[in-house]
Amino acid sequence: MQEILSAQANEGMVLAKNVATPEGRVLCGKGTILAATMIDRFQKMDIMRIVVEGHPVEVKGEKSLKEELQDMEERFSRVKDTPPLMYLMKRLMKKKVEYRGP
Amino acid sequence: MDDEKRTKFRKALRSVKNLPTLPEIVIKLSKMAEDPDTTTDQMGKVISKDHILASKLLKLVNSAFYGFPQRISSISSAIILLGFNVIKSLIISASIFEFMEDQDLELWEHSLGCAVVSSVLAKRLGVSEPEEISTAGLIHDIGKVAIKMELPEEFEKIHGLVRKQGISTLEAEREILGLDHAEVGGWLTKSWNLPTKLIEPIVCHHDPRISKNEQIASSIVHFSNIVIRGWGYGHADDIWVPPLNKRAWTILGLAPEDLDHIIEETEEKLWDVKGFSLDIRSQLKESA
Repeated sequence: MQEILSAQANEGMVLAKNVATPEGRVLCGKGTILAATMIDRFQKMDIMRIVVEGHPVEVKGEKSLKEELQDMEERFSRVKDTPPLMYLMKRLMKKKVEYRGP
Repeated sequence: MDDEKRTKFRKALRSVKNLPTLPEIVIKLSKMAEDPDTTTDQMGKVISKDHILASKLLKLVNSAFYGFPQRISSISSAIILLGFNVIKSLIISASIFEFMEDQDLELWEHSLGCAVVSSVLAKRLGVSEPEEISTAGLIHDIGKVAIKMELPEEFEKIHGLVRKQGISTLEAEREILGLDHAEVGGWLTKSWNLPTKLIEPIVCHHDPRISKNEQIASSIVHFSNIVIRGWGYGHADDIWVPPLNKRAWTILGLAPEDLDHIIEETEEKLWDVKGFSLDIRSQLKESA
């Protein structure tokens, strides 16, 4: 999952969250494959940000998945002897991988 | 020496000169709340007179960490749904966090994140009044804000020590001040006459064993702080996940599938909260 500017959206990207107007009216549901007409519409309606599946847009200075996972390991490095927290770390890592995934 | 140091800093922190004093409106509302004839409508009207406060309150009330299915559009329904103690804490948070949003967005995001996990966990465990527990999660680090505002020099020393020795903020605070942010948060919330259900989780969020009356609430905030720091919403140079208290873990009695559920639910809500703090960022830019 990645939050991108609607200006960065491309045809074929898949919505990971509903796109709604500021009043909460849903324009496009989660799972929709974006077509050019929809992207146009978002921009016309001043929808600045959308959330899409995977991690299609490269952000300068952003950490790689590998670095993010290393950071997480470092954060948990002082609680290695606590099994529930090691389980927590594994699940959070899995989440991170899914989140950044294809 | 330690006692001397403690007394000195305790005095400085207790005078809380720079912290926004308890907003007058809270004092007025507290008096109203004591009067059995006061209606929530009357209280709502008092709050609504301050437009900025009212809109901030509604924003907090409608944010992901309370997770009400429907939008709450009036202050009086917020008072009915959340109870006066939560509203009071939110008014206090709104004024104190104004400073945090501005100067310490990282701590604000950590606090919002902790409120989200506390809320998810409280609901999963089916405890009564989950809103009070999420509110305690929101203000659990309020003592850090007080230290930063009242003792800026010592604050720098504390963070210098964290960087130099690789110890936790808590340990560095004890070393430099002879006391820590959990204790300071306790004094503040006590002086604001908040209920024990809100005070104890703040005082005990690093050591839930010392909680006398609110062991579950304290254990929830203790564990929520661990989860959100593990997630990467921490604060400053102390990056490490703090130790899990065994007793708290036993009290919570969570199974692996509970943890899976908590991670799923929290992730969903963190997205909303992220939007919430982006809103604040853009408001800050606009007003700058």
